[in-house]
Amino acid sequence: MLTIENLKELGADTEGGLARCINNEEFYLKMVNLSLQDANFEKLRSAIDGGDMDGAFEAAHALKGVLGNVGLTQLHEPIAEMTEELRARKDIDYSGYIETIFSELEKLRAFE
Amino acid sequence: MLKSHVKFHSIAGKRLVLIVDDEIVNREMLRNIVQNDFDVVMAEDGEEAVEKIKEHGDLLSLILLDLNMPKMGGYDVIQWLKSSDDYVNIPVIVLTGDKHAEVDSLTMGAADFLTKDPLVPEVVLTRMQKTIELYEDRSIIQSTEREDLTGLFNKEYFYRYSEQFDTFHSELIMDAVFIDINHFHLINELYGRKAGDEVLIHLSDYLKDLREKTRCIAGRVEADKFFVYIEHGKVSYTTMAEEINSHFDDFRDIHVRVRCGIYQNVDKSFDIETRFDRAVQAANTIKGNYSKSIARYDNETFQKKMFEDRLITEMDEAMATHQFYLNFQPKYNVHGEEPVLASAEVLVRWDHPELGRISPGQFIPIFEHNGLIQKLDFYIWDRALECAGRWRKEHGIELPLSVNVSRMDLYNSSLIDFIIEKLIDYDISKKNLYLEITESAYMDDSAQLIEIINSLRAEGFKIEMDDFGTGYSSLNMLADVPVDVLKMDMRFVQNLNSSEKQETMIRLIMDIAKYLKMEVVAEGVEDKEQVDFLRSVGCDVIQGYYFSKPLAEKEFVEHVLQAQKK
Repeated sequence: MLTIENLKELGADTEGGLARCINNEEFYLKMVNLSLQDANFEKLRSAIDGGDMDGAFEAAHALKGVLGNVGLTQLHEPIAEMTEELRARKDIDYSGYIETIFSELEKLRAFE
Repeated sequence: MLKSHVKFHSIAGKRLVLIVDDEIVNREMLRNIVQNDFDVVMAEDGEEAVEKIKEHGDLLSLILLDLNMPKMGGYDVIQWLKSSDDYVNIPVIVLTGDKHAEVDSLTMGAADFLTKDPLVPEVVLTRMQKTIELYEDRSIIQSTEREDLTGLFNKEYFYRYSEQFDTFHSELIMDAVFIDINHFHLINELYGRKAGDEVLIHLSDYLKDLREKTRCIAGRVEADKFFVYIEHGKVSYTTMAEEINSHFDDFRDIHVRVRCGIYQNVDKSFDIETRFDRAVQAANTIKGNYSKSIARYDNETFQKKMFEDRLITEMDEAMATHQFYLNFQPKYNVHGEEPVLASAEVLVRWDHPELGRISPGQFIPIFEHNGLIQKLDFYIWDRALECAGRWRKEHGIELPLSVNVSRMDLYNSSLIDFIIEKLIDYDISKKNLYLEITESAYMDDSAQLIEIINSLRAEGFKIEMDDFGTGYSSLNMLADVPVDVLKMDMRFVQNLNSSEKQETMIRLIMDIAKYLKMEVVAEGVEDKEQVDFLRSVGCDVIQGYYFSKPLAEKEFVEHVLQAQKK
C-alpha cells in the first residue's frame, strides 16, 4: 500500500496533490493508484518504439495532465519535457525518457 | 423541451454539470472538486458526451470539456452543440493544458477555458459559477420565458420549472401559492397604466427577494396574478401577506392589498396546473372579503365545489329522467272551531340515482345562485298544475296550491304567459295558484319588481311573502309591496317555547299584518301548544308537521280526500 510518506520519499508533491483532492487523503491515494494504471504509459512506450510521433505526443500529453494533478513530480517532469519535444515532433532519442519514466513507475507500482 | 439554458434560476437544488475527459483521474478529481456545489454526470469521450447531453438536455447548466479525446474530440463536441437547436445555449468550459488551445476554444464558442495542468479547485469552481451566472443573466434579456415587465417566469415556464424542480426534489413538501392584487383594474383606471405597472414591479421585487431567501420559484401568470412554488415551512403566509401589504404602504398614495390562496403540502400525484388551480380556488373564497388576505385550500371546500358543479351539470338530465318529484304539504285554516284544509305548498325533491336524496336546502341555493332555478321552477309549476288538473278530473279535488317563485323568475318576461298557458292547459283557475316569493327577493326594491308583482296580482294570483322575518324588510317597504299573505318564517314558531320575546315578535307580526290587511301563515308548526298560541293571536293558516308532513302525491290525495270527508 502506498502511503503519503512513501510518495514524499519518492519525490512526489503530495501537498499539491492533496490540495487538488480537497485534502482527502484516501481519495488522493486512490487517484495516485489510478494514475499508475494509466494505459498511456504503455501506449507511449510502444509509440516511441514504433516511431509513431503523433501517438507518442498524445499519450505523453495526456499523462502530463494526470501526473501533474496527482503531484507525481518525479514522473511529471520527464513527461512534461518529453511532451514539448514531441509537440515539436523532434526526431531525437526518447529512450532515456522512457527509461527514467518506467524506472520511477516501477518504484511506485512496487507498493501496490 | 425547453430550449433555454437557464437552469433553475431560483432553484433550491444543485445545478447539473457534465464533465467530459478521457482520463479517469481527471474526471474523478474534477468531480471531487465540484460535487459539493453541483450534481455531476460524466463522459469519457466526445461520443458519450453527446449521448449524455441528449439524455439530460435542458437540465445541464454547464459542460466541462476536455479537448483531446479518442473517438470524438472536444472541438467536435462544441461544433455539434453549436449546430444543434436544443443545446446551443449550454455553456462550455474547455479543459486544457495548452495555452494555445485557449484562443481556439473561445473562437469556437466555448464560454471559458480552464487549465487542468494542474487543476486549482478554487479557480475551477469560481469559473464555473461565473460562467453560469453570466449565461443565466444574459438569458433574462434574450429569453421569452421571462415575463417582460417583472422578469419573473411566465406561466408556461413557471409550470415547467416547477415540474423540473419536483424531479430533483421529490422528497420536499411543497406549497402552491397564488397571489392576486385586489382591484388591480381600478388602480390602472384611476392612476394610469404606469402606476399599475409599478405596482406589479413592486410586488415582483418582493417575490424576487423571497426567491433569494427561500429558493422558491416565482412567476407572473396573468396581469396581476402571481404563482409561487415554495418548500413548505419556509415562510409564514400570514406574515408574507402582511409584508406584501405593508410593502405597499408607502407606495405612492395607492392603497394596494393582495389576496393569497395557498394549497399546502401539495399532492404531487396531481399535475402542477391542478395544484395551482387549488390555490386559486382557495383565494376565490375570500374574493371581496377585504378583512382576509389569505385563504388556505381545504379538501372539504373543494369537495363541496365538486358536488355543486355536479348538481349543476346534471340538472337537465335529472329533469329529463324525472329525478325531481313533488311533495305537497297541507296548510290548514284555523279560524273556525275545526281546522280546515285550505291549500298546500308544492315542494321539490331530488332523488339522484347515485347521490340519493339531495336536500332542496342543498340544490336550491346553488341553482338560485347561477340562474338555473328558473328552469327548475318552470318545470315544477308545470308538474304541479298537471297534478292539480288530474286530481280535479279524477277526484274532484279543488285545492289551491302554492308554488315558489324565485327572485330571478320575476325578471323573466315569459313568466306570466307561461303560468297562464299552463293554467289553461290543465284547466285550473287562477285563484287556485298562489305564488310564494321569498322576502329577500323584495330587497331588490326595484320599481320593475313591484310592477311585475302587481301585474301578477292583477291577473288574480295570490302573492305570499315567504320566509317573512328572515330578511330585512323595513316596515316602510312592507307598506308599499303588493302582498296578500305573510308567511312567517318557521324560526319564529320553533323558538316559541324557548322565549317570551318570540311570543312578542309573533304578536307584533300579527299586528302588522292586520294593519296592512294581510293574512298570516305560520310554518313549521309541530305541536298543539304552538297551534293554540297561534290561534289565540289570530294567525289565519298553519302549515307544519302538527297537521301533516310534506306528502308524496298519492298520500297527499288520500289526505285531501280524507279531510274533505270531515
